[in-house]
Amino acid sequence: MTTAQAPTLIAEPVTIEERTPFQIVMTRFRRHCLTMISLVIMLGILLITILAPVIAPFEIQELSVNDYFVPFGTVDQATGRVHYFGTDNIGRDYFSRLIYAGRISLTVAILSTIISELVGIVVGAISGFFGGWIDSVLMRFVEFMLTIPQLPLLLIISSMLLRNDNLIPIPDPVLKFMGNILLLSPRDSRNAVLIVLVLAGFGWLNAAQLMRGTVLSLKEQTFVEASRSLGASNFRIIMRDMIPNAMAPIIVDASLNLAGYVVGEAALAFLGFGIQDPVPTWGNMLSASQQFMLDKPWLPLVPGLPIFVCSLAFNYIGDGLRDALDPRLKL
Amino acid sequence: MTAYFIRRIFQMILVVLISAVASYALLNLAPGGPLAGLRQIQQNNRFQITEEDIARIRAYFELDLYLPYRFTRWLIGVPRGPITIGGKEYLSDMVVGCARPLETEILNDQGKYETKVTGCGEFVKLKELAGRRTSHGILFGDFGLSWRLLRDRPVSELLLSRLSKTIQLIGLSTLLSLFIGIPLGVFSAVKQYSKFDYIFTSLAFMGSAMPTFFFGILMILLFSIIPKGAGWPYVPAGLSESVRGYTVPLIGAVVAGSVKDRILHIILPVAVLTLVNISFYSRFVRASMLEVMRQDYVRTARAKGLSETIVIMKHAFRNALIPFITVVVFTLPGLFSGAIITESIFAWPGMGRLYLLALNDFDYPVAMSIFFILAILTVIATLLRDILYTVADPRIRLS
Repeated sequence: MTTAQAPTLIAEPVTIEERTPFQIVMTRFRRHCLTMISLVIMLGILLITILAPVIAPFEIQELSVNDYFVPFGTVDQATGRVHYFGTDNIGRDYFSRLIYAGRISLTVAILSTIISELVGIVVGAISGFFGGWIDSVLMRFVEFMLTIPQLPLLLIISSMLLRNDNLIPIPDPVLKFMGNILLLSPRDSRNAVLIVLVLAGFGWLNAAQLMRGTVLSLKEQTFVEASRSLGASNFRIIMRDMIPNAMAPIIVDASLNLAGYVVGEAALAFLGFGIQDPVPTWGNMLSASQQFMLDKPWLPLVPGLPIFVCSLAFNYIGDGLRDALDPRLKL
Repeated sequence: MTAYFIRRIFQMILVVLISAVASYALLNLAPGGPLAGLRQIQQNNRFQITEEDIARIRAYFELDLYLPYRFTRWLIGVPRGPITIGGKEYLSDMVVGCARPLETEILNDQGKYETKVTGCGEFVKLKELAGRRTSHGILFGDFGLSWRLLRDRPVSELLLSRLSKTIQLIGLSTLLSLFIGIPLGVFSAVKQYSKFDYIFTSLAFMGSAMPTFFFGILMILLFSIIPKGAGWPYVPAGLSESVRGYTVPLIGAVVAGSVKDRILHIILPVAVLTLVNISFYSRFVRASMLEVMRQDYVRTARAKGLSETIVIMKHAFRNALIPFITVVVFTLPGLFSGAIITESIFAWPGMGRLYLLALNDFDYPVAMSIFFILAILTVIATLLRDILYTVADPRIRLS
């Protein structure tokens, strides 16, 4: 602040309605009707799964003896609780398992997304910012990972990890934490942690490439030069200038990844290489329903539709975000 | 150009080798493996399995050799015995493995007893490998013998018996989706913002978000189970031909294994793959077509007074197909490996299902052969893509 007196302004200051970038993004975002519907649906599903212990009338492993494949809405004689979606082949309540499964499937997807985007951001930022041999080593590695056929390798890795529980030591606090989120015992949640690692292990490649590209173009910008001439350290430039400005493509990538992980986790479970049966996920419920669908054709729809709805909704959200965050589009 | 190819081929070999090492290590480093079931039998006490039995079975699976030797024997077929130079054997006493590991129970830090290998009772020497059968190495096209699925038969036999089914499935669905998907994409781009475009893009969007496994199950429900129950004409689902004859309303009696039977069985899996591929291909073509239609040379062509059909077909469409090469070339590895998920839903006896079975059944030679060939094909497809790119678009130069 200088002490010099500015000449007093006579004219009324021109007021332009100032809008933060966030507001601009939100206006564009709201225009996408389908995106908004998807958002509402996803929030609804998330809320239901968060409130799973309140909403679900039964425990996931609770057996109603002799009540196998009861029809929708049957009332449990002893306790008066309702089997909204009936029961499965060993008398477990389908509706309760479905919402607990949603909790597990969505948590796995969200955690995988967070981990893979974080790894992608760090790797991409380092690679783009420092360049040179670090860049070429990291990017060759990313290209190599993208060359090898993913699903077959994913199957090899997860079959190995799931068969040998102790291959990768996972610290107990992590298991306890996961157990608390998923409402499972730490032992049961080990599978979920492994699947998160497997999915995230392949998912960060795209984010890293995106981040590297953005950082490369940001490096030439004057505000980075300004920061540097003010004496900012590399770390500070990356954290304060690079990452916040490169967030747009990462956010879009994250929402598309969410869709991919919901489907990916379900696919692994469906093929028998994912989270295994006593722990419910949409994928293994679908795969279990396959053997009974000759007699009960509606059975696969119950776990199948949520997978489809989540995948579609996350895709729409990603699509809407892409349009909303694209700076080339004018309002 | 030559330098480029030499570099690329060098890179390709590196990628294939690294993925071979990685897959081999992943499958073989993990404990358990083919001996897991054996140990349970041993604990059961119903069958008495002696030390010799275990040693013999370990030798059969080559588990008595150290991993690096196992790997080189699998990859290039060496070492196969002492090295003989001029009638003299060298290194014949080199230790290459352990025939009888010593196992002791150790108290671990969680207070439980664990069985750990602490030493070796009997070593395997290089000269003992001389009489063993071995493959000539996967690099030279010998995939070895299957462990479980077709015990002691060559893996190549197993692969060949499945390959034709996979090529039928993937080939047919790829052709169909190209013939349907490309025109749809072009039409949708030309009529951008029309009602057709709107409906089509939303359907394609939904199709690309649809998980294959759920889609497959829906198709089975809609075209097989429900019509069958209602007594309408239906399409059989599962396997590539039925075991015994059946009658379908309107179509009549179908003899098991006949051409009619096979055609009926291929309909559903091909339909699933085709629809999924169409939604992907046509979105791709539409996007690239829209991109091209904005180019100056398209405007020039219009300004010359060419008819709209010629502008679209000769100027826009051809250029829009260039990025599409990427997509088409990568069906090459797909032709070999199949569609793992679709094949498993429809119990289609193809390569993808074989891969799943092999992984589930610890038949590692089969699983690794498939993965290895797949890695090679993917790498070749990548090179092919880059070459085709320059052929199709002279503006791109290889360097």
